[in-house]
Amino acid sequence: MDEEILKGQVKEKLSALGEVEIIVGIPSYNNAGTIGHVVRAAQTGLLKYFPARKALVVNSDGGSKDGTLEAVEQAKLDTQALLSVSHPLYPVHRLTTPYYGLPGKGSALRTLFRIAELTQARALAVVGADLRSIAPEWFELLLGPVLDREFDYVAPYYKRHKFDGTITNSIVYPLTRALYGRRVRQPIGGEFGISRRLASRLLTEEVWNTDVARYGIDIWMTTTALAENYKVCQSYLGAKIHDTKDPGSDLSGMLVQVVGSVFGLMETYDSVWCNVLGSLPAPLFGIPFEVGLEPVRINLGRMLASYQQAVRDLLPVYRSIISSPQLEDLEVAAALPDSEFALSDELWVAVIYDFALGYHRRVIDREHLVRSLTPLYLGWVASFACQAENETSAQVEERIEKLCLVFEQLKPYLINQWPLRSGEKRSAS
Amino acid sequence: MRAFWEQAILGPLRDLGRQTLASLSSLIGMLALILLGLIVGWIAKEIIYRLLRALRFDRLCDRLGVGLVVERTGLARSSSYLAGQIVQGLIILTALLAGLNALGTPLTRNLVDRFFLYLPHLLAALLVLVVGALVSRFLGRSVLIAAVNAQVPSARLLAGLTRFFVMALTVVAALDELGISRTTIIVTFAILFGGVVTAAAIALGLGARDLAHDLLQSQFRPKARPEVEDPMRHL
Repeated sequence: MDEEILKGQVKEKLSALGEVEIIVGIPSYNNAGTIGHVVRAAQTGLLKYFPARKALVVNSDGGSKDGTLEAVEQAKLDTQALLSVSHPLYPVHRLTTPYYGLPGKGSALRTLFRIAELTQARALAVVGADLRSIAPEWFELLLGPVLDREFDYVAPYYKRHKFDGTITNSIVYPLTRALYGRRVRQPIGGEFGISRRLASRLLTEEVWNTDVARYGIDIWMTTTALAENYKVCQSYLGAKIHDTKDPGSDLSGMLVQVVGSVFGLMETYDSVWCNVLGSLPAPLFGIPFEVGLEPVRINLGRMLASYQQAVRDLLPVYRSIISSPQLEDLEVAAALPDSEFALSDELWVAVIYDFALGYHRRVIDREHLVRSLTPLYLGWVASFACQAENETSAQVEERIEKLCLVFEQLKPYLINQWPLRSGEKRSAS
Repeated sequence: MRAFWEQAILGPLRDLGRQTLASLSSLIGMLALILLGLIVGWIAKEIIYRLLRALRFDRLCDRLGVGLVVERTGLARSSSYLAGQIVQGLIILTALLAGLNALGTPLTRNLVDRFFLYLPHLLAALLVLVVGALVSRFLGRSVLIAAVNAQVPSARLLAGLTRFFVMALTVVAALDELGISRTTIIVTFAILFGGVVTAAAIALGLGARDLAHDLLQSQFRPKARPEVEDPMRHL
């Protein structure tokens, strides 16, 4: 397997280096403006918090052309502890645009996991090369729980603006929590800490050359860790400020990649989540301090118009996905004046569960199905934004908590409607 | 006198009797074959219908969009029933052809031969129609969803036009396969298509001159890029 992933030259360097205890991985692609800061933060963090442990910083680059590699060279503090490798960037990474994350992130992670295996590293932290708010403390928070408390997966916990990360807040977090019974607040955060045990397990999966690795790598890792009972925790990292590659203009493409991956993984792990009800908190490390946040502007009028048009024009599509009572409620909401527009938590959860069921049953083409969710999602965001307009971040967090509880309460509906494979038993408890 | 009686009267009557008997037996054979075809066809239809219903064939057809077509056109009460009816029709048709062949006349033999020569074209045309219907439905839905997501006001019209043009092409291809007035169909299609394009061009020129002007200007003389429509970070 390593012949495919690592080149001979890299393997020689690694064998010369011998065993290491910690690896910090930085996947990059055209990040010359920020990667120097990230490399310096990593090396400072390692020196400050893990001075006695042998560590290695690995930059896995996908063929940058903007001087990223030179920026890494200039930033390094210790030549022995820095390794530059390249990961293959398949044509699809260049052709499939826009892409919400880093092109070739799956290849980069595969390379980093293999290096962790070869060097017998106990812990690996992966951080984005586009981060502006990264601090040396992040490495203590991402690596410490793996090294000292034997956690396998450390998810990031960021402080975000109340209207930031709405796909995470309205679909990915509540759904993942309801399905697998663990409250991981940022399941697709991007940064993470991981044990060699889990990294090796992930390397054995046959998904590295599939769309899951290309588009849904973050949710795949989190879901695998949760569904296969690895020890999962969270670390509070403060605010995440980065050069965003989140092109809001292709929202439906983003939903296909992220929500499609969540729905796809529901099929892989249906025997697990069908037996889970309720949820437990995932341990949180670090002290949640207040931070200044970038303001997020939203265009309510555009979102409402999109929702209203979809309920009018996409009705035949929705009829094949959404149950009749829910569809009627969506139509009633679409007819309301803008000032009174609201979608209830129960309605939203039922819609998401119907979409998950429709995806599983292949009621229509799967990409069509997830793309048709876009205007409904915008309607939900508009409703959420109207209700939370004058609320504080803490109040909004309570609102999200309430939504999560509805996801959990209505889960029996999803379980009962989900056709299990023959021979499997349903015993939710 | 007796020889004359035998030759002029009884001989032809015997021949007529023999021929009538032969024709009658062929006719009875044909009727028996048709009757057998009807019975076997009905039994086959019931078996196919029940088997497909048990295998949830209707649900599969609903997913592919065939179920909706069957329902809307009123062809049959369900896709499984339609499949049964098709099998029944084919069995009856086969029995009818076999019956005609049993008559043994040059006319019926010629008819049967020509039918079997034409059958591959008929099946190919049917296949073209089925594939075309599925493609038109898929593309129509792709256009509809993309247009709604882009908030294009006439999303349904665009989707309908897409479905119409794909189906028009499909029908032309199917008729071409059947060899029905090939030239006439192609010319009709060209005139129809050209007419629609011309009408659209005139409508755009007269009714949406400003829109066309703005569109072309934005393409070839773009202004400074306005603020991104959706400034949110969704992930």
